[in-house]
Amino acid sequence: MDEGDEDYVVYGTPIEREEETSARKRRAIADAGQLRALPPWKQEVRDEEGRRRFHGAFTGGFSAGYYNTAGSKEGWTPQTFTSSRKNRADVKQQSIYNFLDEDDIKDMGGRALETSMQFDTFGFTAAELARKEAEKEQEKRPSAIPGPVPDEIVRPAANSIGIKLLMKMGWRQGRSIKDTHADSLYESRREARKAFLAFSRDKDGPELAEIESSRSESEKYPERSDDIFGGTKSTPVYVLNPKQDLHGLGYDPFKHAPEFRDRKRSRESRDKDRGNNKRKYAPGFGIGALEELDIEDEDIYASGFDFEQMEVEEVEPTKMIGDSWHKLVDRKRGSMLSFKVASNSDYVLERFRPPVIPADFESRHKFPTTLESTNKFPELPPPEVPPPEDNNLRLLIEGSAAMVARCGKSIEDLYKEKSKTNQLFLFLSGGEGHNYYERKLWEQKQKRGDLGRQNNTKSMKSSDEKMNAENRGKVLGERPLDRSSKASSLSVDVKEVIHLQSNLGDTFIKPVGLSESLKPFKYDPAKQERFEQFLREKYHGGLRAAQPFITNIMSETDRARERLDFEAAAEAIEKGTWSKEKETDPLSILKDLPFINDQRFVSSTEVEKHGVSKDEQKVIHPKREEFEWRPSPILCKRFDLIDPFMGKLPPVQRPRSRMDSLIFMTETIKSSKSEEAIASTRDSILLSHSESKETEKQLITQETDAEPIAADVQRPVDLYKAIFSDDSDDDDADEGNSGHSTDPVKTNEGANMTLNRLVAGDFLESLGKELGLEVPTDKPGPPDKPPNSILVEAASKGDINSSSVHEKLTSQHEEFDRPMEEKHKDNISKSADNVVTNLSINQNEESKPHSRHQRSRSRTPDSDSSDDYRDKKRKTHSRRRRSRSPSTDSSSDRHRSKRNRSKATHRKRGTTDTDSSSDHLYRDRSKSEGKSRKRSRHHKHRRKDGHKNR
Amino acid sequence: MAASGAEGLPGRREGGGGEAAVLRGHEGAVLAVRFNGDGNYCLSCGRDRTLRLWNPHRPAHIKTYSSHAREVRDVHVTTDNAKLVSCGGDRQLFYWDVSSGRVIRKFRGHDSEVNSVKFNEYNSVVVSAGYDRSVRAFDCRSQSAEPIQIVDSFQDSVMSVILTKTEIIAGSVDGTVRTFDIRMGREVVDNLGHPVNCISLSNDGNCILASCLDSTLRLLDRSTGELLQEYKGHTCKSFKMDCCLTNTDAHVVSGSEDGFIFFWDLVDASVVSSFRAHSSVVTSVSYHPKDACMLTSSVDGTVRVWKQ
Repeated sequence: MDEGDEDYVVYGTPIEREEETSARKRRAIADAGQLRALPPWKQEVRDEEGRRRFHGAFTGGFSAGYYNTAGSKEGWTPQTFTSSRKNRADVKQQSIYNFLDEDDIKDMGGRALETSMQFDTFGFTAAELARKEAEKEQEKRPSAIPGPVPDEIVRPAANSIGIKLLMKMGWRQGRSIKDTHADSLYESRREARKAFLAFSRDKDGPELAEIESSRSESEKYPERSDDIFGGTKSTPVYVLNPKQDLHGLGYDPFKHAPEFRDRKRSRESRDKDRGNNKRKYAPGFGIGALEELDIEDEDIYASGFDFEQMEVEEVEPTKMIGDSWHKLVDRKRGSMLSFKVASNSDYVLERFRPPVIPADFESRHKFPTTLESTNKFPELPPPEVPPPEDNNLRLLIEGSAAMVARCGKSIEDLYKEKSKTNQLFLFLSGGEGHNYYERKLWEQKQKRGDLGRQNNTKSMKSSDEKMNAENRGKVLGERPLDRSSKASSLSVDVKEVIHLQSNLGDTFIKPVGLSESLKPFKYDPAKQERFEQFLREKYHGGLRAAQPFITNIMSETDRARERLDFEAAAEAIEKGTWSKEKETDPLSILKDLPFINDQRFVSSTEVEKHGVSKDEQKVIHPKREEFEWRPSPILCKRFDLIDPFMGKLPPVQRPRSRMDSLIFMTETIKSSKSEEAIASTRDSILLSHSESKETEKQLITQETDAEPIAADVQRPVDLYKAIFSDDSDDDDADEGNSGHSTDPVKTNEGANMTLNRLVAGDFLESLGKELGLEVPTDKPGPPDKPPNSILVEAASKGDINSSSVHEKLTSQHEEFDRPMEEKHKDNISKSADNVVTNLSINQNEESKPHSRHQRSRSRTPDSDSSDDYRDKKRKTHSRRRRSRSPSTDSSSDRHRSKRNRSKATHRKRGTTDTDSSSDHLYRDRSKSEGKSRKRSRHHKHRRKDGHKNR
Repeated sequence: MAASGAEGLPGRREGGGGEAAVLRGHEGAVLAVRFNGDGNYCLSCGRDRTLRLWNPHRPAHIKTYSSHAREVRDVHVTTDNAKLVSCGGDRQLFYWDVSSGRVIRKFRGHDSEVNSVKFNEYNSVVVSAGYDRSVRAFDCRSQSAEPIQIVDSFQDSVMSVILTKTEIIAGSVDGTVRTFDIRMGREVVDNLGHPVNCISLSNDGNCILASCLDSTLRLLDRSTGELLQEYKGHTCKSFKMDCCLTNTDAHVVSGSEDGFIFFWDLVDASVVSSFRAHSSVVTSVSYHPKDACMLTSSVDGTVRVWKQ
């Protein structure tokens, strides 16, 4: 409010916001703020001082000070019982001191525990006390200055015991405790002089004393200066150089070279200076004690500054090392005083020439012949031997020779092993035809060796010149490649290689014809090149070559995206669909395959969009889409607008992704499946009640006169209540039914239940049908819908689709309403042979406790039919009643009117609820039950709002 | 054309106008400056975690509001000048009493930094846009600090929000400007294809000016969603910067990252005027609702008042 004073006149003192003095309290509040952000199960209950008072049951329970005790200081200490009858508790004398803490007691002048001034070495408390006493004294004493004299003027002197002792020992303020030699010498000399002076004064008189004193003065000065230089003046207060290095204790690395010490110190101080602003934070203000520094606090705006600093920093040392000559000359007068630059340096950096590589050196070792031929081969071939006459034997020999030649010596041993018993193989171990075998073996080996050598040389040749696809194919016995197509737009050699590669891929793996016409990235040669590189890598496997230079330009994300494209393209090519779909016009490819996006700031979604539709973005942006959006009722109210969704069904969460909708779907199916099974069976059994029939009839006949708007608004809630039997409507029903039958409670409860089940069961059954799930059918009309289609639709489109479901459901209901009795019969007969009968019986039994529960609940209003309760009910339902029959509210013929009303209620609930709110329920099912219950309340609320607005 | 268009603009030194005042006081960057409803006062907020109330015409510093624990990114005043709402790095909205300078309420709910905040017409709702990809509405009249509405259809940080009588309009880094029509219950998504940094409504309420991070301002027709004009020439690539239209809707104003202020002609998108206003990034511009007067704020810690 400095400059604003001219604008404002301020009266009085502004009320400052009260600051919480207790640090703990403040911390507690801060914690509470953080706690509130935590999920409930992680929050901790603390008292206002921030202490945790409530512990888990196993860690102490509630503790108000005394942990794990009986809640008192004594705890479980055993004591003998003393009757308070005889010895009454004596009245404790309480004084104000019992309630004060130490500081307050001190202020009040009481005795608090403190250090005695006798042992107060440095005299803080003593000084304090002395001042206090002086103050006290001062009050009594009359003084020249009226009022209390400020502390600064009157400073009482009080020395601590330590100082007193030291002073007695001859120490003076500001001196070191240790007696220096010079000091003592000076002292003793002075004493001696004094003594001498006293002695001579008697004789010579004062003039000598004059001289002496002047001499002593002159004598004094050098000694004084000496004293100063000796550094013995005062005690060292703290260690100047705390140990921060990693040297051993007492080791001084600069012991023999103190010149370096200064250098090091100066460097350290410089480092420290720099270290302070290593990370630049926004200038001018710090950060609160409760905040921790993080990335947000860095000064993002001041960017260039650090750079400059860094440059200086880096240049300096390199200079120092690099051209040390000039630097050192410059620094002669610096910290390295005692060093001189050598005029000639002995140290010459030795350099060695790289070894000379002989001209005929080859980087790979070449074997003169095959391993096998050198090792195993005897030089001389065995003599030519005519084959044995026995043709069989000859064949056998030749075969085994070939075998051995191929597989090695081990197989021969194996044969030999066998031949011991077998006459046929005697030739192996020197029997008949052994020579021929030797010869044959040699021949075979020779042949194989030749082949191997041939291969070897071939491969060597190819690697020397260039690996040719053809000769490789020849080597591996593949079918020859066609080299028909020629490059059109690309540089020839690249194309050559690529083509070859793709053809090789073809022969190795599966036919992928990447002919010239099938280039997916024809329009972008660089990209095409990269794509081909990608293909090469994909089909070849093995070690990846270093990324070509082009990719370095691209960003990481671009590369990733492009890779995805390539994958897609490769797949398309594999399928052979590329040529059909994409090849025709490059624009369509454009649509599918994104460009490299060189935009700097791209949001995450932007990337996606780019991936989907590049040209769309080019042309149509800005693109407009519209969705349904549901403002909350309170928001509408605050904006003073009418809620556009007032009275409409609650929104369905738009599924975020396909995944979500899938999950949603399965859950629905599951729940509805079980529910539907239960409900339908219940339905079939409970239909036997005559009441239910009656009510159903009434439902149909009296359907028409329901007020449309009210029904519209109320429906969803009512059905929900009908199923989960909320009490308010039960009450209505009870009232209605109480006069209807002989056993009021039982029947009305039964009817109520029946109705509820009927409605719910019917709905669920029909729902189940809609979903194409197996339902114990009692009607014709097979579910010909594909099972999941509706659900998927509903899940994905949300409430848009709900109307269609709704229609279907209503039709089901009409069907259901019509053949009530016959259906019932059908039901029984069918369910006899149905598997579900067991289930239904079980269900019936299961439903009993439920019904009991319901009874107890529904009975309560009857049993305590207090007027206020009724009134409340009437209030809540007054609207409905008015709409139906205004005259019925008279209390005299209550029963009859009630009956009418009940019928009306039933009708209302049964029909309107079921058909309209079916989709509502359906949606509710998908949610948890608790949630939907809440929603029903919510509806009520909104209805009220609606009234108001209307 | 351009010369004639530059007549009524503040900051033109030739015409005798120009910088009228410098409001100093903020330590560190000033992140936003806003005129109040009638243009007599202004509010600035910055990285020094304070809000400051000024009289830009005198010029005088009136009051400092400090309770924020982190930088303050946006501030808005009610039409009756009684209340303030501010938001920033501490994920809360602060609801202030202007005269006493005390925080009446703190609205929690955002999971991350809050970029922008506005009152509605009746000063009963505060709508904020945050880095947590949501727009949240808070009820000033209830005691609850929880939002009454959460809009989380955005796919990236929401940078800016403006309110009309019936709509909430918000621009997001996902490249969309979304209009939530409360009366109709519709969400209209205008995809600009570039991250939206700031949106501002024309005074006639028919157009949205969206500042995109590709150094382009885009003018959208609100009813059809079509792109009316693009304004280029300035730099806007990495900072949250404001843009606005002049009080007559004749020109488009935006700061630049190099400290310049740019004026474009609304219709033909030519740069009418550009001058250096600050030594560093211009974070915010605010135009007087009636007069030819403009406020600019910058990272250099000053707020400057420009007059014709």
